[in-house]
Amino acid sequence: MKRIFLATLILMGITVFVASTAIAAMVHPGKTVEERAINGAKAYIKKHNLKKPKQTMLLISLFKNSQPKYLRQWKKLTGVEMGSIQYGYTDIPAKIMAEAVAKTGQYDVINHFPYVIPDAVGAGTLQPLDAYMAKGKPDFTGIDSGLLAQQSYKGKTYWFILDGDHIALFLRSDVMKAAAKEYKAKFGKAPGCPDTMAEWEQMAKFFHTKKGQTRWGMKFKQPLYGAQAYRSINFSYRHFPAYMGGLLFDKNMNPLINSPNGIRAIKEFTSIVKYMPPDVQGWGTPQLYPHWGSGRAFSFMSFPSAMGYANRNPKSKIKGHQLACPVPAVKGASGKMVRRAPQAAGTGYMVNAHSKHPELAYYFIQWFTGPTQGDIAIADPAGFWDPMRMSNLTNKAVLAKHTEPFVKMTMKNAKNAISLLMIEGNYEYFNVLDKNMAQVMQGNISAEQAAKNVEKGWNRITDDIGRKEQIKAWRASVASGAYIDKFAPTN
Amino acid sequence: MAQATIKERKSLSAWLAQEKVFRLIPFIMVEATFLLLLAIPFILTIYISLLKWRANRPFEQAYFHGLLNYVRVLTTEDFWWALGRTFYFAGTAVMLELLFGFLLAMLAYKQFRGRRIYITIFLVPMMVVPVVGGYNFSMIYIDSGPLNQILSPITEAMGVNPRIRWLSHPIAAQWAIILADVWQWTSLTFLIFLSGFAALPQQLTNAARVLGASRWQIFWKVHFPLLKPAIMIAVIIRSMEALKLFDLSVLLTFGGPGTSTETIAFFLWRQVWQFNKYSFGAAASILLLFMFGTLIFYGIYLLVRERDIVEEERME
Repeated sequence: MKRIFLATLILMGITVFVASTAIAAMVHPGKTVEERAINGAKAYIKKHNLKKPKQTMLLISLFKNSQPKYLRQWKKLTGVEMGSIQYGYTDIPAKIMAEAVAKTGQYDVINHFPYVIPDAVGAGTLQPLDAYMAKGKPDFTGIDSGLLAQQSYKGKTYWFILDGDHIALFLRSDVMKAAAKEYKAKFGKAPGCPDTMAEWEQMAKFFHTKKGQTRWGMKFKQPLYGAQAYRSINFSYRHFPAYMGGLLFDKNMNPLINSPNGIRAIKEFTSIVKYMPPDVQGWGTPQLYPHWGSGRAFSFMSFPSAMGYANRNPKSKIKGHQLACPVPAVKGASGKMVRRAPQAAGTGYMVNAHSKHPELAYYFIQWFTGPTQGDIAIADPAGFWDPMRMSNLTNKAVLAKHTEPFVKMTMKNAKNAISLLMIEGNYEYFNVLDKNMAQVMQGNISAEQAAKNVEKGWNRITDDIGRKEQIKAWRASVASGAYIDKFAPTN
Repeated sequence: MAQATIKERKSLSAWLAQEKVFRLIPFIMVEATFLLLLAIPFILTIYISLLKWRANRPFEQAYFHGLLNYVRVLTTEDFWWALGRTFYFAGTAVMLELLFGFLLAMLAYKQFRGRRIYITIFLVPMMVVPVVGGYNFSMIYIDSGPLNQILSPITEAMGVNPRIRWLSHPIAAQWAIILADVWQWTSLTFLIFLSGFAALPQQLTNAARVLGASRWQIFWKVHFPLLKPAIMIAVIIRSMEALKLFDLSVLLTFGGPGTSTETIAFFLWRQVWQFNKYSFGAAASILLLFMFGTLIFYGIYLLVRERDIVEEERME
C-alpha cells in the first residue's frame, strides 16, 4: 500500500514537472512583458514564414499625432509594418459592426473604448486573447480592479487597457484662495475638494458670479460659472453612474433607476446645470476644454486630461491654478456614501477576429500596453493616455507630464473607477438615458417622469435583445467587479 | 494564341452588331442597372425587415419575425417625433426657399447690368458641398461668432441677449438648421423659377398690357398661373430632398440639444449604425418609403393636373 502511494506520488510529481516544463516552453522567452511580445512576434513571423508582414490599426483620430511613432518603433523591433486608419471615436463602433458583416480583416488591431466589446463580441468581431496571453504572459499588476475588469467579457479577455480615463473634478485654486475667508465664515470649512455631490453644488452656487461683479477683490469681466460638466447627448451617460452610486439594474435586469435612489441621482445630475454655461447641453470636449481654459468656470467635472490641457495650452488663463479632486460621493443605493468614478473614455486595444494574423496583432498590443512601454506612452506629451498603473506614481516622465498631485489624485480615484454598461446594446441604453436627462434639463419633464421613461425604455431594449442573454451577461459583468457594487441581497 | 483572341473579338463584335442583339443592349443595360441598384437592394431590405436581426448577432442567427418590426417602428414614440420634426423642418425650409427663390428670380429675370454676375452668385450656395456648408455654418453660429456680432445692434436694441445660443438652445438650433438649409437650397428654387420666368410667353404679357392690365394684374393673372408648374416642380424636388435632411443635423448639432434637431434620417442612422438594429431600420425605411412616396406621387399628380390646366387655358 505504501509503495503504491509512493509510486502515485512520484508519478504525480513527474506529471506536474512535465506539464510545467511544457507550459514554460510555450511561453515566449523574455524577462519583461515587452520582450516576450517582441520575441513572440518574431517567432510567429518565422513560423509562418511571413515576408514583410503588414498590419493595420483602426485608430481613434485623437491619437493620430502620438500613436504613429510607436508603430514605427514596432516595425524596427519586429519588422511588422503597422499602418493606421483613423476615425473619430463616434464612427468606430459602426466600423466594427460593419466588419462583423463584411469580415474583411482590413483592421488587425482596433483601438477603442471597452464598452464596444459586448456588441462586437456578440457579432463575432473580436478575438479572445486568452490563448495568446498564455504564451506572452502580460502583466497587469498595479492596475485597479475596476479598470482591470473591463478587459474581460463573459469570462474571456478581449481588451488591453492603456488609459485611466475615469472622470475627476477640477476646481480653481486661485479663486478658492481669494474666497477662502468668506467661504469659511459661511460654511465653517475652507473651500477644497468637495466630499459629496451636494457639497459640489453648494460650492458651485457660492462661486457662481455674474459678469462685471467684484468679489473677493477680483473683478470679473466675464461671468464665472459655478460649474461645468458634460451634459449633452452622447456624454451624459458617461457621468450619470457617478450620481447613481450603485448598479443600474438588479440581478434580473430590472432597471433600478425608477427608485428613490435613481430619482435622487437624476435630480442631483440635473440641478447643478443652473450654475453651468447655458450652452452646456450642446457642448462636447471641443467647447468645454477651451471654456475651462478661458477661466470662465469655477469647477469642471471632466475627463482627467482637462487639467493637462489647461496647464499646457498657451492661451490658458488658469495655468497652475487647478486643484484635482476625486469624484465626490453620493448616498448610493446601499444608503452608504460611495464614490464612483465612471471610466468614461478610457481607451485600449483589441484584436479583430477576422485578421489574417490575430496572434501577431496581439503581440503588438501586449508590447504597447506593457508596464514599461505603456508608461512611456502615458508620459508622451502628445498623447492622451492617462495614468492607470501604480508604477505611474514613481515614474518621473509620467509625473513630469501630468504633475504629481494629479497623478496621486487620479490613482486614488482609480480605486473608485467603474465601467460603463458592459452588455449588448449598451449604446441604446445610454441613448434612452441621455435623451431623458436632456428633457429634465430643458424643464420639459420631471425627474420622476424621466425615471419612468428610462425604466420603460430600458426594459424594451432588454426584451428586444433577449432578457435571458442580457441577464447572463449582466450578472457576469457584475461578478467581475467592473462596477465595484454587487447585487443587494433583496434584488 | 493572339490570332485566336482576335478571332474571338471579331465574332463577339459581329454578334453584338446584329440588329436583334444591338437593339436589346440599351434595354438590358437599363434593366440590369434597375435590378442591381434598385430591385435587389429593395427586395433585400424587405427581407431584412421581416427578420429579427441586430448586428450584434451574426446574420446566421437571424430568424423570421413577421411584421413585428413594423409594429415596433409604428409604436416607437421617437420615430413619430423625428418624423414630425422632419416635416416641420422641411415645410418651413421649403416655404422660405420658395419665397426667396421666387423673389430673387423676379429680380434677376429683368434685363439689367451685371445680371449674369448676380445669377452666378445666387447659384453658388447650391454648388457648395453640404458638409463644407455645414462646417461653415457651425462657425457662423458660434455664440461669439459673426452672426451674433452682426445681429448685436438689433438684439441689444430689443433688449435681447446678443449671444443667441444658435446651436445649444432647442428652438434656436432648429432655426439654425432651417436657415442653413434655406441658404443652401434657395439657389435651386431660384434656378427653377428663373427658367420658369424665362419661358413666359411674351405675347401674353403684351396682350395683357394692350388690354390695360396693371403690373400687379399681369403678374397675378398672367404670370403666376403660368408659373404654377415651375412652382410645383420646385416644391416636389425640394420637399423630396428636405425630407431626407441629415447632414446639417449631424454637422451642426448632432441631433441636439436633447433630441430637438433629430430628423427622421438621423433617427434611422442612429438605429442602424449606433444601435445595430438592422431589421428595425429596414422596416422603418420601408414605411418611410411608402409615406414619402405617397406624398411625392400626390405632388406629381398635382403637378400634372396643373400643367394640363395651364395647357387647356392656353388652348382656349
